[in-house]
Amino acid sequence: MTPRRTTVYLAVGLLFFGFLGAIGNAQETSGSVKAVQLTGLKGVKDNTKGTLSVESGNLHFVHGKENSDVSATSIQDVVTGGDSRESVGKTVGIMGMAAPYGGGRVLSLFRTKIDTLTVEYRDPDGGLHGVIFTMSAGAADAIKKGLVAQGAHTSATGEPTAVPSPSSTSPNKEENQ
Amino acid sequence: MKRFPSPGIWLSVFALLFAAGPLLARKNQSAKIKVAAIQVEMIQSDEIKLPAEFQVALYENLIHQLEKQGFSHVYRDGDRNAASVADLVVLRSTVRGFKAGSEKARQVTTVSGATSITVHCQFTRPDGTSLLERDVNGKVRFFGGNLRATYDFAKKAANVAHENFSSPTGE
Repeated sequence: MTPRRTTVYLAVGLLFFGFLGAIGNAQETSGSVKAVQLTGLKGVKDNTKGTLSVESGNLHFVHGKENSDVSATSIQDVVTGGDSRESVGKTVGIMGMAAPYGGGRVLSLFRTKIDTLTVEYRDPDGGLHGVIFTMSAGAADAIKKGLVAQGAHTSATGEPTAVPSPSSTSPNKEENQ
Repeated sequence: MKRFPSPGIWLSVFALLFAAGPLLARKNQSAKIKVAAIQVEMIQSDEIKLPAEFQVALYENLIHQLEKQGFSHVYRDGDRNAASVADLVVLRSTVRGFKAGSEKARQVTTVSGATSITVHCQFTRPDGTSLLERDVNGKVRFFGGNLRATYDFAKKAANVAHENFSSPTGE
């Protein structure tokens, strides 16, 4: 194989993978993402899995046959953060603990990075609610940008900031990213 | 030869012991402050750098645990309906200490990586009159994610509220 032909194959390969990456990114920014609602969403149990998206001015969470909406304009703060979780499932992790010589603990070393999305919003009576979602790494920023574009406020610098209520100011937000 | 007390004396001693329990409990009950409702303010963390998800988890867990403890009316921060309630108690919580542990370190070593959080809880009247102040901590030592420390705190703080305040329906 001549060096010229190798270069052509390499270029075509790079173009192909670049194209796939672009499609993936486009889906991430415009579409919905799989997420886990850790706590806070009214009428939804803690640790509920579902799909999160920003649709017609709302943060839209679909879980099973039900869905929950939070109006973007009622959101007074949206913050993203990072965390990690075990790559193996909960059951496998617990069963692994029974493995002899602490062998199961090796499983704990394999962890997946995740994003957290924390949303604070006011209900019609003015009551403050907080919701925490986790999702795959890199997905939270797209949701946050979508929410800010729809009128949500954020305490992060360089973005439109809500008038801080005396009880909800937190100077350290966005620093854990 | 030893003389044993008569059965009558034994009986009266047991009767006293059985009667003392409920009487003491009633005494504690009467020491509780009667409240119609409790309003939970958002957790303050001005001095301590606390991730946003911890702040929100502390707040949400605290509300859930207070409801679980039998407080029938638990109002959220900023809820306008709380303004008209007589005998309202406001719970202000300020983070005084936070040590971010590591779930990975906990699972691998079982001796390190504990997450702990210390929160100063202040129960006041709406005008600011202090009724009770207490430092409550939350920890996660072995199992669970770091946010589990917020659940531990909320449970303890709700217990403090339950021991010192009585709600008309929930007690």
